[in-house]
Amino acid sequence: MRVSHEWLGEMVDLEGVEPAQVADLLTLSGTEVEKVTAFGVGLDQVVVGEVVGLRRVEGSDHLFLAHVATPGQEPREVICGADNLFVGALVPWARPGTRLPIGAEIGRKRLRGIWSEGMLCAPDELGLGSDHDGVLILSPDDAERGTTLDRLYPADHLYELEVLSNRADCLSHWGVARELSALLSRPLRDPEASRPTRSSLSPSVQVTVDSPTDCPVYLAEVLIGFSEAPAPDFVRRRLAAIGQRSLGGIVDLANYVMFEIGQPLHTFDLNRLPGVERGLEVGVRRGREGESIACLDGVARELDAETLVITVGDAPQAVAGLIGGEASAVGRGTSQVLLEAANFNWALLRSTSRRLRLRTEASGRFERQLSPHLARRGADRFIHLAVRHLGATLGPGAVGGAPLAPAAAIRCDPVWISSILGMELGPDEVASPLRRLQFEVRQEGGEVLATPPPYRTDVSTAVDLAEEVGRIIGYREVPGTLPPIRQAPPPEALEEPVARLTSTTCRAAGFSEALSLSLVSGEREALAPRLRRDLPHLELANPLSAQLGSLRLGLLQGLLQSAHHNQARGQDKVRLFEQGAAFWARGQERPEEPWMLAVLDLEDDGAADAVTRLRHLMALIASLSSVGGGGVVEFRPVTWPALHRARAAEVWAGAERRGIVGEVAQPVADAFDIRGRVEVAELRLDGWLKPGGRPGRAPSLPRTPALVLDLSVTVPSRALLGPALRAVAALDLPELELVTPIDEFLGDQLGPGFKGWTLRLRLRHPERTLTTAEGDGVRQAVLRVLELEVGARAR
Amino acid sequence: MTSVDLQELTAMALEEIAGADSLEGLDEVRLRYLGRRDGLVTLAGQRLRELSPDQRAAYGQAFNRASGELRAALETRQRELAAGEEAEREDAEWVDMSHPFREPGQGHPHPVAGLIREIEDVFAFLGYQSVAGPELEDDQHNFQLLNMPPEHPARDAHDTFYLSPPAGGWLYRTHTSPVQMRAMLGSRPPLRIIVPGRVARRDNPDPTHTPVFHQVEGLCVDRGVTLGDLKGTLEYVIRALFGGDRRVRLRASFFPYTEPSLEADVACAVCQGVGCRTCLQKGWIEILGSGMVHPEVLRNGGVDPETHSGFAFGMGPDRIAVLRYGLTDLRDLYENDLRLLECF
Repeated sequence: MRVSHEWLGEMVDLEGVEPAQVADLLTLSGTEVEKVTAFGVGLDQVVVGEVVGLRRVEGSDHLFLAHVATPGQEPREVICGADNLFVGALVPWARPGTRLPIGAEIGRKRLRGIWSEGMLCAPDELGLGSDHDGVLILSPDDAERGTTLDRLYPADHLYELEVLSNRADCLSHWGVARELSALLSRPLRDPEASRPTRSSLSPSVQVTVDSPTDCPVYLAEVLIGFSEAPAPDFVRRRLAAIGQRSLGGIVDLANYVMFEIGQPLHTFDLNRLPGVERGLEVGVRRGREGESIACLDGVARELDAETLVITVGDAPQAVAGLIGGEASAVGRGTSQVLLEAANFNWALLRSTSRRLRLRTEASGRFERQLSPHLARRGADRFIHLAVRHLGATLGPGAVGGAPLAPAAAIRCDPVWISSILGMELGPDEVASPLRRLQFEVRQEGGEVLATPPPYRTDVSTAVDLAEEVGRIIGYREVPGTLPPIRQAPPPEALEEPVARLTSTTCRAAGFSEALSLSLVSGEREALAPRLRRDLPHLELANPLSAQLGSLRLGLLQGLLQSAHHNQARGQDKVRLFEQGAAFWARGQERPEEPWMLAVLDLEDDGAADAVTRLRHLMALIASLSSVGGGGVVEFRPVTWPALHRARAAEVWAGAERRGIVGEVAQPVADAFDIRGRVEVAELRLDGWLKPGGRPGRAPSLPRTPALVLDLSVTVPSRALLGPALRAVAALDLPELELVTPIDEFLGDQLGPGFKGWTLRLRLRHPERTLTTAEGDGVRQAVLRVLELEVGARAR
Repeated sequence: MTSVDLQELTAMALEEIAGADSLEGLDEVRLRYLGRRDGLVTLAGQRLRELSPDQRAAYGQAFNRASGELRAALETRQRELAAGEEAEREDAEWVDMSHPFREPGQGHPHPVAGLIREIEDVFAFLGYQSVAGPELEDDQHNFQLLNMPPEHPARDAHDTFYLSPPAGGWLYRTHTSPVQMRAMLGSRPPLRIIVPGRVARRDNPDPTHTPVFHQVEGLCVDRGVTLGDLKGTLEYVIRALFGGDRRVRLRASFFPYTEPSLEADVACAVCQGVGCRTCLQKGWIEILGSGMVHPEVLRNGGVDPETHSGFAFGMGPDRIAVLRYGLTDLRDLYENDLRLLECF
């Protein structure tokens, strides 16, 4: 919302207060000033001239030659492109040598063989709003020929305000002035509002409100005898300053009151309403199926039971709080109006506004729970101005709705307020800011009883008062402290969280940390390998696009996309990991959110080098499990969708499958537009890794020497080492401490279809040195198991 | 043999020791003179037995001196030769030490994830435990218990993603505040937690929006917690994150779940508070929303507002990362471009 410094100054004395200070005070107390702009500055060089002659420039279809005069001077020739000039018009004239507020320097210019002596200005060229539709035509009532324009448009500053969503009362100059009055401790001057004696020379009016919940208050006032005069200059000037276009006297006045008092008003042309002869029957009711209304914006809107409408003689005349009907619109020649000052249910209006995709200044105010008490004030302000400036006479009026409940007093204990704010405040220090905010305050014993002013719908409890006191005193005044720690250390405080441990481990292994959106294209993710392959996607009911329409089932899709992104930007090696939640549907039940880790290693290298990278990835998984307390990891070869059929394995720890690892199938890499071989893994970490488990007991370290023996065997070329080693481990030989594969021999010497393994056995007895014979016994036992398991022969 | 012969023998041996040019040759010299069985000096020593007692003392001394001298010389020469041979061996293994190298391949942290860890560390210092909560929530926890009943205008700012049936009862949380509720309902005060996590709002991606982003929520509930404590905590944390000389201001605000509500701004680092494009000419950059937990919200969390009070705050690590590292587009945070990640 835009407010004018000059306008505010009429309600609170701003003498000696700089705009920057106003901005600071408002911002810190909750009404953020986003921008301060100067308005009408530098108009002291622009003079009011009269157009005394006007003709088209020969050979041009849009240029005019105006003769512009000021008292005591010969008329000068000025060329102008605007088509709203007429002889006798008073216009702002920037003569040669003038520097305009927008920065332009005006000179003598030759156009079509004519010397143009300066320029006639549109409002935007003068820094008076954004209007560029034509030259600003000044009212002869206000403008004096030959004077400078700053007398008409005093310099002003405009504040662009971001009003908090609970502060509907601040959506007006009056409201902002109330804040400043409290913040500056300067008295508030309320805008004059009055109701003169009613004339009976006009039609009577009657209001029926179907539901006071929909419409707590509806004031209808008949006003007659409007002159055709435009709104007074201060009204038009201030509206222009805040960027509102002038739309004729009556509408300007209604707008002016809305921006000043905050109460939206609507005016109907009385003579265009049905039943005006018998007396007006105004109704506020829900719309009916089949009804429609042609609105002021030229759009016909269907009505229904969800829409609140204003009717006259039961015919819809307006969509309540949103927009008026075209049929009863005020226009040129309107001399009698029905004025509406009402309040409508904020929730109802909000949903109507959304459904109709229509937001107006009025609806924006109602939606934010504008106080119904404001309606009377707004009506009276309009009546006051209309009678005074537009020659109107007040006719009959009517009220609909329910009686408005007065605001209740709120009791609060200054000790409690002090304990919330963290500063010592006595009863007077609590009462003073509230009084300055127009609260009625009484002190009773040690307590403070405060009744909020009727327009403050946001204050109803003691904590609301605490906030008012705090923000008006200013949070600058609150001393900063740290709360004492009274909390026992959390039981797991010393343990490193899984996420952190995982990040450290993956980075140490050379992988960089990635974060991808958890919203994905379900179609695209269906292509990527993933641990959980049997579930449908969870879909968003209101996605931004199909690209971001599903919740991710896994994390590899994101990494594959990032791999492509990086490769396309010249990275020949891409090593990334990401951890985060995936989303697994469980029907209507709360979806499961497993904590996942995905790792990706991409390089455009050969098949053999890719195996090295794959093994590195597997080593990372094993070491992550080991440092994370996840136990010994086992890789079980498997064929898995979207993975290379001969290069994929499940990751098992204990009796649970924890993940998958393998090379991305070439067609999948192609689909993601990736060159080269991509090694990936996806693991579910929650329920598996439990880092920080303290060791129960340190083992006693053996003091006897180990016996180390190598065993070389020939096995079929597709024999699996993992199961073979597990079978050896299952022997559970007490002396066999460790078995390490140290060589895999793939040469032809062993015959086609065979390969060689060399295993290093480390043996130890806890109390004595083992003999060679004992060592041979163990080696034989191991060899036998290998024969049975993979058909090994000693080599 | 006399002491004089012994002297000659020693001189010869010393000459040969000096002349040996390999460890092997030196060993031959050692064997020739000091060999246990037939070393020339060893043999000369055995003659001691043949001498008369009055000759023995002098000869014995001369022999000890001579053999000692030889052993010392052998040892010295041995060290010289060994060093020379080691040097030769090493020379043969020459490498170009000026050759450019490949980095060892340590991975890099994501700026947002790294910042979250840093925030966790700062709060750990103040006794806060980092906890997590579900990203998919129900309306109850995301809105209602936080004082935002259906149709509440404050919901407008939380443009929410809802799930399709059959999971239609769930939404993607729009803030991490529901975890406040879960923490209060799940344990008794005193309570000090921070909650880093993902949230989503229905904003089209642009330089200042991504539909999914991160928040770090904080909550402190205890007896006698004040707004002064909130202020002190925020000032401490902001200085820890932005540097001790950074100006901070607290400004009144409104959130349905806190009252009084505050927003914290830091002076714009680009213009030092003068006003520039980064801060939209304000001179300040908003980084955090906070306030005293609303009594109604405490009550909803099973905490008695008569005996306890608390404060809560929420900040956006994505935004803070952008400010701190001078990024220009929030979307860059989710592209995982290694050229960016490698800067951290």
